[in-house]
Amino acid sequence: MPTRRQPAQSATTNADPKAAPNARAAGGRRASAKPDVRGVGPRGRISADDPRVTLEQEIGSDLYEPIPPFPIKTEREGEFYSLRDGEIFLNIGPHHPATHGVLRLVLKLSGEQIVDVDPVIGYLHRGVEKICENSDYYHVIDQVDPLEYLSSLFQEWPAVMAFEKLMDVEVPRRAEYIRVLTGELLRISSHTLYMGFMALDLGGLTPILYSFIERDEIVEMLASITGARMLFNYYRIGGVNGDLNHEFMSRLGDWMSRAGKQAEAITALLNENEIFLRRMRDVGTMDRATALRYGVTGANIRACGVPFDLRRAHPYSVYPEIDFNIPTREEGDSLARYLMRVDEIKESIRIIDQCLHQMPDGPIMAKLPRLLRPRPGRAWAAVEAPRGSLGVYAMSDGTDQPFRFRIHDPSFMHLGVVPHMLPGNLLADTMAIVSSLDPVMGGVDR
Amino acid sequence: MTALMRTMETVRGRVAAAVRSYAWDHLTLAERVVYLAGPVLLLGLGFAAVFGYWAGGPVVDFVAGRLGIVRFFVSVTAILLLTVPTAFVIIYMELKVIARMNLRVGPNRVGPFGAVMSVIHGLKVLSKEDFAPTGVDLGVFTLAPLITFLASVMTLLVVPFAPALVGQDLNIGLLYFFALGGLTVVGLLMAGWASFNKYSLLGGLRSAAQIVSYEIPLTLSVVGVIILAGTMSLNHIVAAQSGSALDWFVFKQPLAALIFFIAATAEANRTPFDMTEADSEIVAGFATEYSGMRFGFFFFAEYVNVFIVSALTATLFFGGWTAPFDSPVHVNLNWFDPFSISAPVWGAIVLSVLWFGTLFLALVVRLLGGRSWGVIDSLALGGLLLVLGLAGLIGLAAFISIDWIRDLSWFMAKTYVFVFTFVWMRATLPRVRIDQLMGFAWKWLLPASLLNLFVTATAVVLLNR
Amino acid sequence: MDRTLKNRLEVRLAGLTRGPVRQRYDETEIRVSPGDAPKVLTILHDSIDLRFEILADLAGVDTGAEMQVVYHLWSPASDDWLRVVAEGISRDDPRAPSATFLWPGAEWLEREAYDMFGIVFEGNRDLRRILMPADYLSFPLRKDFLLGDDASRTPGAGVRHSERAQVPATPAGGDPAVRRAPAS
Repeated sequence: MPTRRQPAQSATTNADPKAAPNARAAGGRRASAKPDVRGVGPRGRISADDPRVTLEQEIGSDLYEPIPPFPIKTEREGEFYSLRDGEIFLNIGPHHPATHGVLRLVLKLSGEQIVDVDPVIGYLHRGVEKICENSDYYHVIDQVDPLEYLSSLFQEWPAVMAFEKLMDVEVPRRAEYIRVLTGELLRISSHTLYMGFMALDLGGLTPILYSFIERDEIVEMLASITGARMLFNYYRIGGVNGDLNHEFMSRLGDWMSRAGKQAEAITALLNENEIFLRRMRDVGTMDRATALRYGVTGANIRACGVPFDLRRAHPYSVYPEIDFNIPTREEGDSLARYLMRVDEIKESIRIIDQCLHQMPDGPIMAKLPRLLRPRPGRAWAAVEAPRGSLGVYAMSDGTDQPFRFRIHDPSFMHLGVVPHMLPGNLLADTMAIVSSLDPVMGGVDR
Repeated sequence: MTALMRTMETVRGRVAAAVRSYAWDHLTLAERVVYLAGPVLLLGLGFAAVFGYWAGGPVVDFVAGRLGIVRFFVSVTAILLLTVPTAFVIIYMELKVIARMNLRVGPNRVGPFGAVMSVIHGLKVLSKEDFAPTGVDLGVFTLAPLITFLASVMTLLVVPFAPALVGQDLNIGLLYFFALGGLTVVGLLMAGWASFNKYSLLGGLRSAAQIVSYEIPLTLSVVGVIILAGTMSLNHIVAAQSGSALDWFVFKQPLAALIFFIAATAEANRTPFDMTEADSEIVAGFATEYSGMRFGFFFFAEYVNVFIVSALTATLFFGGWTAPFDSPVHVNLNWFDPFSISAPVWGAIVLSVLWFGTLFLALVVRLLGGRSWGVIDSLALGGLLLVLGLAGLIGLAAFISIDWIRDLSWFMAKTYVFVFTFVWMRATLPRVRIDQLMGFAWKWLLPASLLNLFVTATAVVLLNR
Repeated sequence: MDRTLKNRLEVRLAGLTRGPVRQRYDETEIRVSPGDAPKVLTILHDSIDLRFEILADLAGVDTGAEMQVVYHLWSPASDDWLRVVAEGISRDDPRAPSATFLWPGAEWLEREAYDMFGIVFEGNRDLRRILMPADYLSFPLRKDFLLGDDASRTPGAGVRHSERAQVPATPAGGDPAVRRAPAS
């Protein structure tokens, strides 16, 4: 029979008595008991390598302390971490099968209904902005790929655009068309994957695999020109890194002939499913004003009725020459956000078609010196990534490393609107709402 | 004298040392089993023979006098033993069928086509460390999976696999079934409470609410069947559907069948009603803190539940062990007396069939397969095909001529059709939210089942008049 | 480049900007002092002919000599992006007013600027760390952030060479190792 161990009672607890629903008897070790002398390290702390030391001695009993573990500093924190009668905290922790990456949601529940939520991010923070301040301009493109790893060309694009503004470089037209073509392909892949993950979070096991089959075809296509399947490192300052080749064109041709029907097949499994529709309709509704004030962009704001798409609102690259629509929906609920992305896939197929027909000949890279030294100054560029508007603010001081490289990520803003959208819904809707916003934690945390 | 004793000591020491150290370590596992189990079995058989000869008479008299109790014990043991292979088969089916629906392959490494996968899962679950997290109430924590498992398994006692193959033919069989089905709620609540965990508590409460809500339409939908059959004994309900396929209760109670199937899905915590174990929401619900064999019991209980619910659907609405059509072939095997042929002739017939059959099939394989089939390979394949063919022929003969095999096969076929339907639903459908689930039960299924009950009762009264 | 925007800005924001309105490619830039930032943002947001309703970004910048808060805005009435640079924030006690009264979404952006630079936004109800752990002590994106100093304060401190504290030498005129932005 395994023995039951009582955790030590720490003297420095700031426990709210209502926050711990199961009061534990103070058995076992007392707070004043010294830890066992073995394993005390040079600084008075337990050495993590000593196998004689138990986990409890190593971590200490504050693992069992109620949330929050640190003293409350701000007004909003105080408001969140004070419990009224009948409320409990539920921690949907960073380790979770369904939170789209390492995201921690501290929910305050009253029964099954959510009263408040505090998203905690930063588990994937890699310090990309700081690293880029010490990298030269080619390395920045490499560093910026793994941010929203599912659509990594869209991370490179605004970086490269900002640097081109600082170096006064004009990109050849063929390179711009190739950028648009590859970008739209990746947008379709990202949206298809979104649909699969949406279904997976609601319980359907099959559509995710169909999404991955679709994504595999697109990613193989891009691998034949960029050399990589996921972190492409393809765009360069002044153009792209390799021209289209025969293998790419043949794969693209095969895929285009099937593209429309494939998208229909995937959506048919979900769009007419009554359970799916009832789980997503009128869940997580966001109105126009909220979306504008919280900086929501991309398909999420277009699902609220605001036709804000950077490809039309602030055209860049060769989008002014391409004819496409901006689909919009009025409801602003999870179903609208889902259907928006289905519509965008169709628009992207149209754009790819036009790119192929209008592709000019010419060079794919502008002529640049080997050592890139931009003029001192500042530049901002933003593109319409699959998740929203991704912007880069680059400051240069005339050396070969950027002085400040700021990345504005859309998923970051979308998670910021979650505390506004989630209260009032049920616990079971948490995942439906958060995954309908399509966050990718790599971009949120940078 | 002392020299002899010393020699004996040395020999004994050497033998013991050899047995202990050298020979034993160099044996393979199979050899060890054989060398240990062989003598033990032989000794056991010897003792059993002596004991049987000496005490056989009184024992047989004792058993014959208490046939009912003995039958009970035997049937309970048989059921407990039956659940394990059934669960294995259903788990394997789920893995493979869902994989194929997901355009994947599923397990294909362990065993032929991955068939041994469930056994491996079972062994894995058995071999895990037995621990309980801090703060759990250990007695309740350990009892919960046992109660859930037993409550599910004991319902198999009244299910009729064939007219004579019933555990206990209780005349309140259906009532017994629903009573035990309600006991699973206790197990789930115990699990949710005893785990020192908010997720588990929420999951256990959700589970309990779901199962309790769906029990009412489940039970009410079956009352129509009881009225039509006039009895609660499952064996008699199946007998009331004998005849042709059109006598099945699904044609007389279609609404009840539908309600029963939906409510049973919720009772078994299967998709689309598996919010309680939704791994994308609250990890594993009430079973979050469970691991090892305790979790194995919950796991088995779920799959046995699937089997039971499918078996009950087949029994109540689709005729149980009755065949949908009369067998077109009526074979009377009595024209052939197997004892009229003497043993050596039998041996010669069997051996020659095996020998010449293998050779013939090996030749066929070699001719069709071409050069790549060597002698040994084609002989092996020929032998395998012969064995399969003979087994098939014997099975067919048994199916046609032996009643209980035929009935059992029909029962299993129907049950597995419904098991497949459950697995299919799991592969395709997303989950229903907990409040939508409850709303559906109370607002739609309950009135529908009441309506069905009234219509059935009225029809029976009017038609009897 | 939107010339009319320059005129409209000069009309609406007379006296509030420091220096001329600069334009390059598709960006227009104005510089304000941090105290005037809320007023400027409100005028930009509410004016009928300006209507900069969408906050595209809020970033902190450490130029080595001072700190800045940089806002990027978008308007349906103009082709250009507008950059508002609130400059002149001191590096020793960086404070700036918060923009959350106009855009609640700025709350997280300001939290990030606080986390990375130490800029305290007055009026932000939830100014705590967002990307780094709650008990972290340094401000990583500052130009005087040294990895050794920071690592020496962590629980695993001092074991490796890169985690030893460097003794910061600050000669007069500032540390030459700290990069400064060119005065442009």
